Amino acid sequence: MSTVAIPVANQLRAELGDFSSIVCFKAVVVGIEEALGEKAAAISLIAAGRNRGKQLAEQLGLTGKGIDSAEIVPLLQSALGKEGTRLCIVDKIVEIGESIQVSCRETICSAGEPQGSPRNLTFTLGAIQGVLEQTTGKRLRGKQTESVLRGGTHDVINFEVLG
Amino acid sequence: MAINTEKLGVVLQNFVTATNDVQGAALVTPDGLPLAACLPGGMDDERVSAMSAAILSLGERIGTELSRGGIDRIYVEGNQGYAILTSCGDDAVFLVLASASAKQGILMLEIKRSISELKLLLA
Repeated sequence: MSTVAIPVANQLRAELGDFSSIVCFKAVVVGIEEALGEKAAAISLIAAGRNRGKQLAEQLGLTGKGIDSAEIVPLLQSALGKEGTRLCIVDKIVEIGESIQVSCRETICSAGEPQGSPRNLTFTLGAIQGVLEQTTGKRLRGKQTESVLRGGTHDVINFEVLG
Repeated sequence: MAINTEKLGVVLQNFVTATNDVQGAALVTPDGLPLAACLPGGMDDERVSAMSAAILSLGERIGTELSRGGIDRIYVEGNQGYAILTSCGDDAVFLVLASASAKQGILMLEIKRSISELKLLLA
């Protein structure tokens, strides 16, 4: 598996451990949306995700390496999945022409939402975008094309090169 | 068709160099990604882009919540100059940074002209 060191033990908090409930994360998102509006909140959360993704790609040694799905997917699963920070499970990254399609599930953004909810990925989209931008060296624009909240098996994001 | 960011960059560069008291400009997507930028050194175009789109969006919300109608422009006046955010169609937000000595009428006119030019490149 991966050689990336993701702290499993309680390193940031002695008693409560390094994880916090999705309930609190969602409350932060909803609170920001109420204060700033959905669009401004989404911009901020995507920007925050991009920063996190870029930082993660650097930590994983992926900078400028290009899209090699066989290498990136296990690394992201390790870093963001069950053994990592549990943001989401990245199942697939596919290059289709100029665009890149990423399929993920159990995303923190979709968690706890009722079926049919119009909610889209924000922080998760930004985090994956940040990783891919750092990996490809290109600026991308991500758009969610499928959602587990609207009949999909995965949350699918399509990334296109900007400009 | 892909957006020609090189041409957008040239338009911004010309605008910044040819307009008195303008110190920088950037064109960003409504979701906060940079399309082209000509900013003073030390300003991070990605941060500026996210901030610009968020402010314009917040302005739109203020317009709605406080019954001010549709928002065309957001104007930030500091003691060292102006930051003016103008909607550039559905696909972009235009940010202009100008010094405190800038003549506002001329600045607005130049912004209007540049937006017409930029919209053609975004179409």
